[in-house]
Amino acid sequence: MKKMKWAGLVLAVMMVLAVLSGCGSSKETLNIYSWADNFDADVLADFEKQYDVKINYDVFANNEDLLAKIKAGGGGYDLIQPSDYMVATMIKQDLLAPLNKDNIPNFTNIADTYKNPSFDPDNKYSIVYTSGVTGIAYNTKYVKDEIDSWEDLWNPEYKGKVLLLDDNREIIGMALKKAGHSNSSTAEAEITAAVEDLKNLLPSVLAFDTDNIKQKMIQEEGWIATVWSGDASVIAKDNPDVAYVVPKEGGTIWSDNYAIPKDSKHQELAEKFINYMLDPEVSAKNYESIGYSDPNTAAKPFHSEEYNNDRMINLSQDELSRTEWLGDVSDMLQLYDRFWTELKSGR
Amino acid sequence: MKSKNHPLLGIHSLLMMVFIYVPIAFIIAYSFNSSRLAADWSGFTFDWYISLFKNRHVMEALSNSLTVAIISTVVSTVLGTLAAMSIRKVNSRTKAGMGGLLYLPIIIPDIIMGLSLLVLFNQLNMPLGKITIIIAHITFSMSYVYVVVSTRLTGMKGQLEEAAQDLGAGAWQTFRYVTLPQILPGIISGALIAFTLSLDDFMVSFFVSGPSSTTLPIYIYGQVKRGISPEINALCTILILVSVTLIFLAQFILNRGKGQKKQSVLPF
Repeated sequence: MKKMKWAGLVLAVMMVLAVLSGCGSSKETLNIYSWADNFDADVLADFEKQYDVKINYDVFANNEDLLAKIKAGGGGYDLIQPSDYMVATMIKQDLLAPLNKDNIPNFTNIADTYKNPSFDPDNKYSIVYTSGVTGIAYNTKYVKDEIDSWEDLWNPEYKGKVLLLDDNREIIGMALKKAGHSNSSTAEAEITAAVEDLKNLLPSVLAFDTDNIKQKMIQEEGWIATVWSGDASVIAKDNPDVAYVVPKEGGTIWSDNYAIPKDSKHQELAEKFINYMLDPEVSAKNYESIGYSDPNTAAKPFHSEEYNNDRMINLSQDELSRTEWLGDVSDMLQLYDRFWTELKSGR
Repeated sequence: MKSKNHPLLGIHSLLMMVFIYVPIAFIIAYSFNSSRLAADWSGFTFDWYISLFKNRHVMEALSNSLTVAIISTVVSTVLGTLAAMSIRKVNSRTKAGMGGLLYLPIIIPDIIMGLSLLVLFNQLNMPLGKITIIIAHITFSMSYVYVVVSTRLTGMKGQLEEAAQDLGAGAWQTFRYVTLPQILPGIISGALIAFTLSLDDFMVSFFVSGPSSTTLPIYIYGQVKRGISPEINALCTILILVSVTLIFLAQFILNRGKGQKKQSVLPF
């Protein structure tokens, strides 16, 4: 009898395990691998209802994590959101599936600026989801001069109040831009000169910080900073004294994109999802909620006035024309890395 | 006889405590802060806890974490206990060798464990997901259960079992009525440690996770990169509370019924 009881217990445990680990539902699933909080929750729920599917939404913290997971065997994801340079890397490593544009008629809604980007000609593998430009954010309470050039960061009046992104390519690229070169220069002389220039900026630098740069600007620890346009908008909402400018030499533009891994088992559903997200009304709802810039021109009438008037989310054509994507520097990346380490440890 | 410690030692230990616990105290305090910004204190609120429980992704991560923790705890407790039982019977030389092997997963850095398991799962063509995380967690939890249970077994005299067998008890009856009741506190505390480890593990889970298997630590890591929200502080506070409670419970159960002689596996 006692043995029976034990056998019963074991059986019960095994049944619970089976239920817990099994998928449970037979609905088709869309496995999304993206940045945290990258979509409005209601918009995802609407898609699930409309198409009678289930969305699994997992998060990664940076592009390298994403690449590692996809390279290690895909992990079964159907929709991923790599940044611009990572799209290029993934194309090169043959990790992405070509998009079937017949399933994504709303692609035509995307602004021309974001079509045919240098990292993915003809949008064969990717469609831009959101984008921003690295410019200068400054607090008008302390910074009285007109800011329109990267040169202004070097102004000795702001000594100890300058914040820089903690990002190798962004910052060296900024110094290259300042000198009138490409942000992805592969000429050793140009890079060396740019780094020498940055060494002169070091005494003014309060911190290299990407994660908390918004906070430091809101709390006025820093007066002037290299900041992404979307972050500038967040800062300005909490501290209206902060202004943002894309310097006249131009800045680096970045984007997060939709892409589908090669071994996705639900490619068509992923394409339907992209198309759904590009629907003008859905798109307005989504970007209004997450506060990023919307590349969807057809969505403009559905956005709130406040959103449409935000200059930092809706960069002008003039500002966008001054921007440049980060390109592949191949072997020179080692040089960038070495200079960056030197720069940060030489303080 | 009490010897007086050097005053500097006191200051040193105080500083150590500050160093370890102040950051945790900050997280807990700011989980009740009504401002979104981590550095401004603008009033007490439970809002973040409420919005946390309304957040579908957090709840999914929580349910994943609990599923993984419960299953891996049950399996690793059974396997770890069986391992301790079997190794107890072998001669001391084999015992040292096998014990060492079972102890190894505790010493091996998490990152190597995660990577090697990932390579293994790829070789076997296993799709990454909850199942792979559970297997990985069983692998390291088993060792902890083994260590705790075998400590308990070592402290146990063999006479009772011999007496039971002399009186006609079969192998199963001896185990069920004599051995098991004696090592039960060890098994329970081993299980609680396994549960806590599984709930907190990031590194190994990170390597072997796949679709729909985001656990709480992986979710938190993804969030932090986008700016730490007070919701995350609230989540961390809950995790800290659960972990600390379970570990203390484990220690309490392990020491119960041992009288004066305290035999702690963990350093407290």
